[in-house]
Amino acid sequence: MKNEWVDTLAGSVRVKAEGKGTERLINACVRNGIAVWNVKKHSRDTATFFIKLSDVKRLRHIARQSECKLSFVGRTGLPFFWRRAWRNSGFWLGLLVFIAIVFLLSNIVWNIDIEGATPETEHQMARELKRMGVERGAFQFLLDDPETLQKKLTERIDDITWVGVQWEGTSLHFRVVEKEIPEPKQPVPPRHLVAKKEAVVADLFVEEGQPLVSVNDYVQKGQLLVSGIIGAEGRTKFVPATGKVFGETWYKSTVVLPLETTFHVLTGKSIERHSIGIGRFSLPVWGWKKPPFAHTVIEREKRPFRFWKWDLPLYYERVIVREAEAVKRSYTWEEAFAEAKKIARRELRAKLPEEAAIRGEKVLHQRKESGKVRVELHYEVIENIAVPQPIVQGD
Amino acid sequence: MVKKWRQQMKRWMAEKLELPADIMMDLPRITMVGQIHIYIENHRGLLTFSDKELRLLLRNGQLLVRGEQFIIKTILPEEILLEGKISQVVYIEEEKK
Repeated sequence: MKNEWVDTLAGSVRVKAEGKGTERLINACVRNGIAVWNVKKHSRDTATFFIKLSDVKRLRHIARQSECKLSFVGRTGLPFFWRRAWRNSGFWLGLLVFIAIVFLLSNIVWNIDIEGATPETEHQMARELKRMGVERGAFQFLLDDPETLQKKLTERIDDITWVGVQWEGTSLHFRVVEKEIPEPKQPVPPRHLVAKKEAVVADLFVEEGQPLVSVNDYVQKGQLLVSGIIGAEGRTKFVPATGKVFGETWYKSTVVLPLETTFHVLTGKSIERHSIGIGRFSLPVWGWKKPPFAHTVIEREKRPFRFWKWDLPLYYERVIVREAEAVKRSYTWEEAFAEAKKIARRELRAKLPEEAAIRGEKVLHQRKESGKVRVELHYEVIENIAVPQPIVQGD
Repeated sequence: MVKKWRQQMKRWMAEKLELPADIMMDLPRITMVGQIHIYIENHRGLLTFSDKELRLLLRNGQLLVRGEQFIIKTILPEEILLEGKISQVVYIEEEKK
């Protein structure tokens, strides 16, 4: 038999046949393979029946050879429903609004979860994120990208060692590793203190151990400064030697500085442009002004729009055009020398530990080369030269 | 003569070999569900149809169904399903030539 559902999906029409020989018409239909159903006779010369929508064309052929007049009196099924829906403006509007809503909601941050942080850090992070515009309901394409967020967060919050930022659909996921408070010191094994490099001892401060050098002694690299073996002979004791031995050490550095340099500096003026694009083509949305800058540095930031959980080929682009300025810097010889010395000092300072102090500076060489100055400097530095060396107890 | 002989042969086979008579002898198979449905297989076409009467062509003769409120639910080349209130099913035999 036939399936009602298939007919509903494919669509069917109700045909009204008028005239003599409606039976013959039906016979002809059936013989030509047109399925006919619900045949009803209304009077002697009129009959109605249903046929499939796809059979209508063939029915016309057959009808021409019969004496009946045909008319279509009813249409049912999905194709007709669709056609009606198609013409309905409300249907279109609804569909459009639906897509727009899904699109809008897909581009919103729905959830922010922070994992691995203590409540205080979490609170601090939430506050910091809010200041950066990252909060529930914010548009995704207006936010910084995960790398930037990661960098900013690690910079701004001291308690965080590392933070991983990841998009998971419409939720932003932070994985935090907090700094650990150093644990109480473990008992130090017995050790000596030896010299890190050659120096002249300037000051001594020994907490534990037997000092073997005194002020103004010249020590070589690896020389024993404070012994971890204390006590009279025969009744020796091993202790972890602790203390600081400040020695005068020497550094040499060479700086070459050109007299004239040109470089680009940002002036701080900038123009922002926003656009929406597909592939190479982009449509400006905001900011059509031509930047009145002679030299520019351009920063581009692209962010794809999303639909449901997919990235669309459509993207939002922010272009920041910054004004740059060419600055020419020129020194006289004297200025160049002074500057070179400053640079050398700064470089040295960066290399040295915090507690070290530069005590003296001597210019060894000072030469003018073609457009450049070359300065060789010698520094006297007071720094802690003691490094621990474990005592190997041969047993 | 030959036709009659063949007819007898078929009837004999249907009886002896227990083959379904409707297939062997090309007879209609009629199924009725009470008064409301009649299902006829192996017909040869529609002759007349109204809401009170259905006349079908068979291989030899006609089948007349009488009743009220007839609707042909389905019609296929050899099958027909009629719905309504059936009161009579009548065979009309072809006159012997």
